[in-house]
Amino acid sequence: MLELRGVRQRYNGRVVLDLDSFAIAPGARVAIVGHNGSGKSTLLRILALLERPTEGEVAVDGRAARRDPAERRRITLVEQRPVLFRGTVRDNLGYGLRTRGAARGAVNERVRQVADQLDITPLLERRGEDLSDGEIQRVAVARALAVEPDVLLLDEPASSADRAAAQTLTRALAAARERRPFAVCLASHQLEDAYRWADDIRALAEGRLSPVTPENLFRVVLPDGGSAADLKHVPVGPISLAVTTEKTGPAILAVPPSDILVSREAVPTSARNVFRGHVTRLARQRPGTVHVTADVGVELVALVSEDAVRELGVVPGNDVVFAFKATAVRVF
Amino acid sequence: MDFLEEGARRAWALLVSGDAEVYGVAFLTLKIAACATTLACAAGIPAGFLLAARPFWGRRAALTVVNTALAFPTVVVGLLLYGLLSRRGPLGGLGLLYTWQGIAIGDFLLALPVAAALSAAAVQGVDPRIRRTALTLGAGRARTAWTVAREARFALAAVITAAFGQTVAEVGAAMIVGGNIRGSTRTLTTAVALYTAQGDFGLAVALGVILLALALAVNVGLQVLQGRGGARA
Repeated sequence: MLELRGVRQRYNGRVVLDLDSFAIAPGARVAIVGHNGSGKSTLLRILALLERPTEGEVAVDGRAARRDPAERRRITLVEQRPVLFRGTVRDNLGYGLRTRGAARGAVNERVRQVADQLDITPLLERRGEDLSDGEIQRVAVARALAVEPDVLLLDEPASSADRAAAQTLTRALAAARERRPFAVCLASHQLEDAYRWADDIRALAEGRLSPVTPENLFRVVLPDGGSAADLKHVPVGPISLAVTTEKTGPAILAVPPSDILVSREAVPTSARNVFRGHVTRLARQRPGTVHVTADVGVELVALVSEDAVRELGVVPGNDVVFAFKATAVRVF
Repeated sequence: MDFLEEGARRAWALLVSGDAEVYGVAFLTLKIAACATTLACAAGIPAGFLLAARPFWGRRAALTVVNTALAFPTVVVGLLLYGLLSRRGPLGGLGLLYTWQGIAIGDFLLALPVAAALSAAAVQGVDPRIRRTALTLGAGRARTAWTVAREARFALAAVITAAFGQTVAEVGAAMIVGGNIRGSTRTLTTAVALYTAQGDFGLAVALGVILLALALAVNVGLQVLQGRGGARA
């Protein structure tokens, strides 16, 4: 229902977003993954019809966006650091409904519902300045859910949330989508968020959709038995990853590139996962950092500093050892 | 310093005795200031919103004009208005020269850039996420502007205060356009200028004290209203 065609966005002459096409289908669950500054927030603001692209077109239901309030009401954005209007949380939750001319009774009922879903009922009479960042984020998501948009855009929705709050958000979104299907598109720099919230993950790097899927992800079947304290050895291609988890059955394992220790020789460490292989390529991602890809039976990517690459003599073709702890392996 | 003490004593005596001329001058001053401030804020605050809300062609030039107008000498504005309103001027037929309405127009012209420039600064000071959030929650232009105005309430109250301060203390235009006619266009500021020139420092200081008291009372009133607004919301 929402589509970008040939969109380019420039700030002060610098291209920050360059997308030939980007679409969100009705009811889709899309995640945009990328580093800070990769263009995620700009993309969401353009999708929310809050920002006009320098070039290209935004289409809603196949037609060029009109950008009137009626159209904008179908798409709601929750920014990375949301703000609350002056007044109480209750006032904030009812804002969007009042703009739609909803009757006071209907507003109150809907406010009660979303506050209940997001576990923020005790906050209803409090004011924005009395809330923590995590509470503000939950109120902002509730405020967006209250207006029942067709597309909900979330920019780093759990960046200030603790684990329990993040789970509450996930549950509330799932419940809202069960009652009334709508599309969700969230931006995050954390794969964990992306896999928890979405089933269509797109990577964004320096404003462009990256053909490379996020690194070090493996679909596996976790064996039965054992407790969280026990290591599980999970076959991934020809190697076996040591993982600590109570989960069983189909899962996705993720190894954050920044958690992988790179050396030329095996060194004694506490890491339970140590793999020898050879470097296949180096990619400079951001100033000062290099993505080192190695074939250790499967392809793994490690994030190291340029200095370390130079000092270790890490070049394509050289032998290398990748090591990481079992606790570094994320399980989704 | 004696004449200041004498002035304060005379001001008190004039106020307590209910001196008709002094009260008449004070009420006229308040009436002119209230009219000019209302008109200047009614036109200047929306203009400030337009200047600050979103970029448009010529916006920078418009802001420069408004900011330059802040420094307009009041006597120059009075002189220009005199030329327009005098019998041979293009607006001479309106018969506004030497009337309180003529003074109010002069004060309006002087307060308008104050209201526009300060409200533009007030709106620019509001977190841009407020506007985006209002829009993404479905607000139209008017509601979005109202939401932004609520966030800038203290700065906008300062705009009203500054515009009132400009109009109530204005003397150059009032003197030229109003003519300082006793019982008709004499305001507190023109009266102070007149009595000072006549060497009646005591009365001049007394009227100055009344002018200060008037400005103080209006400012306190505005602050009380702000406080109530803050408590209600």
